[in-house]
Amino acid sequence: MTEARRIVIVPCSGIGKTYGTVSREAAYDLTRDIRPEATWLVPLSLLVLGDEQARADVDGSQAITIDGCKLACASKMVAESGGRIAREIAVLDVYRQHRDLKPEGIAKLNRAGLELAKTLAQELAAFVDSLEGQEGEAHHA
Amino acid sequence: MTDFLEITVDKFTFKVASDRRYSAEGMWALEEPGGRVRIGLSDFQQQRSGDVAFAEVKPAGTMLAAGDEVAVIETIKVNIELGSPLSGEVVEVNPLMELEPERINQDPYGAGWLAVIDAADWVRESLNLHDPQAYFELMKKEADEEIGNI
Repeated sequence: MTEARRIVIVPCSGIGKTYGTVSREAAYDLTRDIRPEATWLVPLSLLVLGDEQARADVDGSQAITIDGCKLACASKMVAESGGRIAREIAVLDVYRQHRDLKPEGIAKLNRAGLELAKTLAQELAAFVDSLEGQEGEAHHA
Repeated sequence: MTDFLEITVDKFTFKVASDRRYSAEGMWALEEPGGRVRIGLSDFQQQRSGDVAFAEVKPAGTMLAAGDEVAVIETIKVNIELGSPLSGEVVEVNPLMELEPERINQDPYGAGWLAVIDAADWVRESLNLHDPQAYFELMKKEADEEIGNI
């Protein structure tokens, strides 16, 4: 799959925020380890700064946004940059489903936080697979 | 329709509903017919606390003295024990708190209410609570201090 066809992943850029850190850990897990061929990480901070390459990567691409809080900066910036949001997810909503994985820590997450990030990444990997499946079906149709 | 006192501090706008009374800790109490009082969290207190992940409210039938823990909320920042602004018996708990506790953030003076209390002595205890203007001044001071320190 070419970079242009990869699904763009945009996590929260909140530094010093536990849930923002979870969103980034999940994005790293997904784009580096779990689905590196199918996904492409775009830092939210570059979109905010108006980086041309980052905006070009997002513009017209399918995107998954991972927000650390309800301000939903990642989702808003991706929409503003012309991305097609296939799924927007908030870390808080994932935590609600896994209350035993309470994230703590900021620069360094606790074990539960890392586990929550992995859980989120796996959930998104399944979603990526379903998107690719739909795309494949569309090509064959 | 509820009127609000409103102030913007830095990038945050805080509202105080003008039809109810407030504890210094940011719990509101709204008198309803039949000696019942609906309670919830002020806009300032919910914004200061952060996005709510879970809210556990004491069940109906719980007897409370003013200041007793009526609910615990877990937010992305902190766990907070909320003290009841009045004495009485919990007669109703907001059913949305179980699955949609984010209503506290979305609509703190409306759908995000926590419980209804059958008040033991509202006439007397309401005097211990702040009127909207007094709470507004208190909130402004706290907001200035807190946001000024960021």
